[in-house]
Amino acid sequence: MTAEMAAEMTAEMTAEMSMAAQTADPLLQVRQISHSFGGLHVLRGVDFGVPAGSLTGLIGPNGAGKSTLFNIISGFLPPQRGSVRFDGRDITRDPVRTRARAGLVRTFQTPKVFGKLSVRENLMVGCHRHLASGVAGNMLRSRRSRAEMELMHAQAAQAGERFGLSEVMERPAGQVPAGMQRLVELARGCLSRPRLLMLDEPSSGLNTTEIGQLRELLQRLNREGITILLVSHDMQLVDVASRVHVLCFGSIIASGAMAQIKQDERVRQAYLGFQ
Amino acid sequence: MSLSLLLQSVLSGLTNGFVYGLVGLGLASIFRGTRIINAMQGDFALIGGITAALLLERFGWPMAPAFAAAVAIGGIAGWLMEVALVRPLRRRGGSEDSYLLLTLGVAFAVSALALYVFGRDSHTLPGIGGESIVVIGDAAIRTHSVWLIAISLAVMGALRLFFARTALGLSMMAAALDADGALTTGINVPLMRTLTFALGGLIGGLAGVLVGPLVNVYFDMGLLLTLKGFAAAILGGLANPMGAIVGGVTLGLLESLAIVMVSSGYKDVIAMAILIVIMIAMPNGLLGRRLRKGG
Amino acid sequence: MPPLSRVLMWGIAFAVWAALPFVATRHIVDLLVFAGLYAIAGLGVAFLLGQCGIVSLAQSVFYGIGAYCTAWFCAHQALPSPVGIAAGIALSTGIAALVGWPILRLSGHFLALATLALGIIGQVLFLEWDGITGGTLGIGGIPRIAPFGFAFDTPLRFYFLVWPIALLLLVLHHNLLHSRNGLALRAMRDSPEAAAALGVDIHKLKVQIFVLSAALGSAAGSLFAHYVTFVSVDSFSIDRAISFLLLAVLGGVYTVWGPVLGALFITVLPQWLSRLGDIHALVFAAALIAAVILLPEGFGGAIRKWWHARVAK
Repeated sequence: MTAEMAAEMTAEMTAEMSMAAQTADPLLQVRQISHSFGGLHVLRGVDFGVPAGSLTGLIGPNGAGKSTLFNIISGFLPPQRGSVRFDGRDITRDPVRTRARAGLVRTFQTPKVFGKLSVRENLMVGCHRHLASGVAGNMLRSRRSRAEMELMHAQAAQAGERFGLSEVMERPAGQVPAGMQRLVELARGCLSRPRLLMLDEPSSGLNTTEIGQLRELLQRLNREGITILLVSHDMQLVDVASRVHVLCFGSIIASGAMAQIKQDERVRQAYLGFQ
Repeated sequence: MSLSLLLQSVLSGLTNGFVYGLVGLGLASIFRGTRIINAMQGDFALIGGITAALLLERFGWPMAPAFAAAVAIGGIAGWLMEVALVRPLRRRGGSEDSYLLLTLGVAFAVSALALYVFGRDSHTLPGIGGESIVVIGDAAIRTHSVWLIAISLAVMGALRLFFARTALGLSMMAAALDADGALTTGINVPLMRTLTFALGGLIGGLAGVLVGPLVNVYFDMGLLLTLKGFAAAILGGLANPMGAIVGGVTLGLLESLAIVMVSSGYKDVIAMAILIVIMIAMPNGLLGRRLRKGG
Repeated sequence: MPPLSRVLMWGIAFAVWAALPFVATRHIVDLLVFAGLYAIAGLGVAFLLGQCGIVSLAQSVFYGIGAYCTAWFCAHQALPSPVGIAAGIALSTGIAALVGWPILRLSGHFLALATLALGIIGQVLFLEWDGITGGTLGIGGIPRIAPFGFAFDTPLRFYFLVWPIALLLLVLHHNLLHSRNGLALRAMRDSPEAAAALGVDIHKLKVQIFVLSAALGSAAGSLFAHYVTFVSVDSFSIDRAISFLLLAVLGGVYTVWGPVLGALFITVLPQWLSRLGDIHALVFAAALIAAVILLPEGFGGAIRKWWHARVAK
């Protein structure tokens, strides 16, 4: 397995995604999601869709319910009402790993890297879902097992370069600065060939320069064909999205292009109210 | 199966159950305070029982002071263990498993010491109320057993009050829930941990003194008590030490009914199998609320 | 470390290992055989604990199943040893898969208790089903392993059977650790949520490792039966399960060779201490406590740290 073969696979992946972008149905469709904790209604009838190939943003002030919605879509929390459809299938009751296998990949607000594993090994885990060797084969170092390891090494090396992680590949991921951990998480997520990449507050803890770099990275990934759902309260970052939904007090109060949203009276009130 | 047989088995199940529950209470208290599973909780009972036996037989002490002293020695043993052994391990960064192994080692040590000093003989302690029994319907239960149940319930209530109302109890809980936060409010967190172990030792010693008259006190009694106490604590949901009593009683009753309905040989199999089913069906323990699974 | 020194080091180690049983007393060699058997069973427990965070007190059950299957098929039915070993492994892994599937959904202390419950159930059933197991009277007359007429009937010979097998198993586990699934295991240990979010089937992996652990326990049990030729319930109690756990943690659960050290500790040390007379149990317990406090990551972890520190200079 060489770098060439790995590059070939990346090209295939991009082609696959461009095709998906041509279909009419939104890749992700959230319908009438409601959820409450105790007596507190956190989400009320949330409805929105993410078209394939788009860079969509979900914004809202703190406390609007973004994290809860995020956890529901990614499978970490079952909703009390409503449904989530992904790629034409109802995934509302699917466990996290099933959604991941379908191509729904998420990052975490505080990056969850595998602390004791090296950065390289973190990236290699990203390849897991596409490979199929079993425990027995692994123990016996079967041909498939060895081929997979080579592939994982090659793809990790490639991703490391693309995301600017070459310097820290051998360091334990837990000991790498927070900004880089975010990149590790992102690179790892991309290696698992997501149909939809969901980012949870990716800019928290980053300074203005780093946010700018993140914006460019996201645009680059989207151009390569990855559908991205960006959840954030940071207006500067979400600017990069082509379409934005605004969540406030548990429901979507506005949807549209970023420029439109900024002019929307309700949105201004929602944000001003919290400033 | 006759009613009197059923009644008799319920009574003995209750008695055993409260013993398991008491051991479990000590285990759960220590766990709650320090997140350490104390594999030698049953051996605190051994310490209490042997001390009482010594004081009564060799030194001729009267019953009440002997029992009180035995319980106190249990507490001192707990205190010693934390200070001399747990703290050094903590300083060196012990993992959960190494704490378990440490307490296991101490359990072996106590057992081996008892064997070495006192040999393989077993001792029987005098019960409260001597040999007298209480008759309920067609069944009988030793007066001591009634006292055992009453004392266990009293301890349970006292602990609850202690943790909820007294300054010391609240401090101990605060130290357990959030060590750093507690430190900033001036609570001596290391001391709280030591006291938690001492408390566990007291409860364990009490269990030993209470179970001594019913079972024999011998060098190997610790392990089985620890296992049953562990089961009781887990059943009750480790988050709530009071649950250990409920868990213990459940276990005791399951065992007794198993003996009566199937056979005494299979009692452990049935009790353990039902235990597994309960755990799978009720991931938060018998008393659990929607807390983290499995402690 | 330069390759030549490395080869030299392994060569010397091999030479020492091979020469040892010829210079030590028969009694010591006997202990070393037991160390090998326990290392195999302990490897199962250690791997499960180190990679999946699961404390298992059920290993004694699988150890017993392996031993009794060997006893049944080889002693009673006079079939060759591979049949007994295979039967034991089949039965153990079957039970592990069946029981493991539901109980491995439990977490932490609940799971530990469930394995303890299994261990107790196994212990009692071995005793009660004395039609099959012979109860306390046990089953004797288990034939030796004797391929092509060469019988492994002395400690010396068995030493050269059990340790190569142990080594092979260590290598297999090492391979697993450095493979796709091994990586997934380590990932799931560090952050189960992130692992799940990348498609790792955590539950299935846990069951697979539990089954693997049971297979090891069973194999060790079968070998044990062929070595001592007589088995009875006393060898398969919860105490046995505890000693497997003990040796696993003492040896260190994060390295594959840790259990070897742990096994040596619990077989050779008590023997050496027994010359002290009645107090030996106490001294052993004290040594155990000291080892736990001074080496929180076990012997294996301590050695590995020392090695890394040395290499870093």
